Amino acid sequence: MTTNDTFTQPLRVVMTKVGLDGHDRGVKVIAQAFRDEGMEVIYAGLRRTPDEIADIVSQEDADILGLSILSGAVVPLTRRVVQALAAREIEDVLVIVGGIVSDEAREELRGIGVEGVFGPGASLAEIIRFVNENAPDRSMPA
Amino acid sequence: MTAKSDLLGRDAVNPHEEWLMRHSEALKSTRKTRFETSSGIEINPVYSPWDLEKMGWSYQSDVGFPGEEPWTRGFSACGYRQRLWDIEMYAGFGSAEDANKRYRYLLENGSTGGVSIALDLPTQIGLDPDHPLASDEVGQIGVSLMSFEDIKVMFDGIPLEKAGHVFTTGNCIGPLAAAWFLALAEERGEYPGCFTLQVQNDPIKEYIARGTQFLPIEASVKLATDMLQYVSENVPQWLPISISGSHMKQAGASTVQEAAFTVCNGIAYVEACLAKGMKIDDFGDRIELHFCTEMDFFEEVAKYRAVRKIWTRLVRERFGGTTRKAQMFRLHAATSGRPLTAQQPLNNVSRITLQALEQILGGCEQTRTASFDEALGIPTELAARTSIRINQIIGHETGIPDTVDPLGGSYFVEALTKQFENQIREVVAEVDALGGALAAAKSGWFQRQLAKGAYREQCRIESGEQIVVGVNAFRSDEPPPEQTFRVDPSAAARQLAKLNALRERRDKVRHTAALARLREDCAAGVNVMPAMIEAVRARATVGEIGALWREVFGEYRPQSERF
Repeated sequence: MTTNDTFTQPLRVVMTKVGLDGHDRGVKVIAQAFRDEGMEVIYAGLRRTPDEIADIVSQEDADILGLSILSGAVVPLTRRVVQALAAREIEDVLVIVGGIVSDEAREELRGIGVEGVFGPGASLAEIIRFVNENAPDRSMPA
Repeated sequence: MTAKSDLLGRDAVNPHEEWLMRHSEALKSTRKTRFETSSGIEINPVYSPWDLEKMGWSYQSDVGFPGEEPWTRGFSACGYRQRLWDIEMYAGFGSAEDANKRYRYLLENGSTGGVSIALDLPTQIGLDPDHPLASDEVGQIGVSLMSFEDIKVMFDGIPLEKAGHVFTTGNCIGPLAAAWFLALAEERGEYPGCFTLQVQNDPIKEYIARGTQFLPIEASVKLATDMLQYVSENVPQWLPISISGSHMKQAGASTVQEAAFTVCNGIAYVEACLAKGMKIDDFGDRIELHFCTEMDFFEEVAKYRAVRKIWTRLVRERFGGTTRKAQMFRLHAATSGRPLTAQQPLNNVSRITLQALEQILGGCEQTRTASFDEALGIPTELAARTSIRINQIIGHETGIPDTVDPLGGSYFVEALTKQFENQIREVVAEVDALGGALAAAKSGWFQRQLAKGAYREQCRIESGEQIVVGVNAFRSDEPPPEQTFRVDPSAAARQLAKLNALRERRDKVRHTAALARLREDCAAGVNVMPAMIEAVRARATVGEIGALWREVFGEYRPQSERF
């Protein structure tokens, strides 16, 4: 596993809910799966604003930001988070989104640079593979 | 062959053990190494009277007759022979106008459980549609209700008496939801008791699983029990609380935990009421316990039978209930949306049918049924109507409701009911030792139990140990279904326009005075209901009341946790 390699730091992940939806079963399952993969995971909880999320990503120096949204407002909410990250010049964080996402919304998310979108039925293995392949390369000599 | 001792020479003590020995070879060739219920209770190859004997089971003390203690077989002697269960369909989206159309459709198509209102998130969290956090979510997962004006529109053309039963969630805005309907009855000149308003009004499980909390937990419990007290004293026909296990289960609780955690939360509410000077004999029958029914058939039946027994015994032994009324809580069951799959969605018709059957065989008088397209979005009319028909088919074509508690006396179901009872009691004792439900919710204990359960299940599904038809087995390449419901995108703009017009039009002097009084009463710690009713009449909005509460009681803040 790249994440456990002695020559790389473990990936740092911030997971959070965005918007008002409070269903956090899925986001916690994925947080635990990332943890079991050796990543360092912080779950920031419910109802975080885009600015708060961007601040947490910056404070935690995260490689990956996982957003969980089940309420149907996935595109505008993700867009605001991406804008808040850009406003802080945070460019090397991989944003992934989980929730109920229509094909149309998936296309729109791709348009704002979010490729990792996982809906109902996505497997943990598939999400972990995507993250390992797409996380920003910050390997440091040991 | 008639072996009467095992390989170690121990004698079989009863015909059941003799049978096990005679067939020991055959019983080894099984398709699984261990059979267990979804909560992990081991299932034996067969059950007989000797299993019950070993458990110290007795018909009179463990089961009894329907309509009599210990209530295992149901609260009514006549069961569904008297009347079938109520068929309730949960719905709501867009604006009050949009929701009104759907409620009329459901009532015209045989929904006998009244009007069941899903609220959008801003309404549930005490935010107006122009709040920066709310703007993307107005009318999305439920109807947007801003003020009393919307309640009037939502019930346009629906007589309260005809609706019969009106349900809504309103967990952290319980007093407001009740005040809306008191004001509606008042304005129509009708006695509020001519229909049953039911508000879920269960904030504790929001902090544990559902997530609409916005105040500190103690403040939420205070507001919820203020409403419970006011309603039980003033409109005894209403149901002011529905303590819910359903959301905890959908967030990862096992079926045993679902039942046990609900009982723990129920204890916390009853204790808060007793601390206000209320008597369980006066309000015991105003309490509803609400669960969801998932796929493990006999476990769900056992759960409903065990819960009736456990809660009524708690009422007698822990809270000193002396009357029949104190024990007659309302047991409500809803088929769960969670086992419904986005893949091959018509398979869900069969899942819903089985779940509906489980809750009926568990003897629940009030049931709600999900719709087969729920994994895809808000149910379409076709899917909602099909769920009504599922209930009608069970009710009218199968003969299942024609005798009371038809699974009573099944060796397996009775053994499982007893095991459920014992396990629920153990969990309740564990939570008592942690300091009760509020302490366990604040420390994150409940939440960790749910997260563990959810992760365990996901791993079992991914390894193939647990099969979900159409998802990790028996998949087929089908195009995704096209017919999914979409909320009218203009709903949010319409709500905003109405909100601005309301703020211009309402009597500003009355509005200011009403909010000032509500603030005083909240700060003084008295029952908020009288001031809340006046605030509703004065057209105070959900966002104004939510903001006032946040100022007086403080605001819930999420906390980051390291995994």
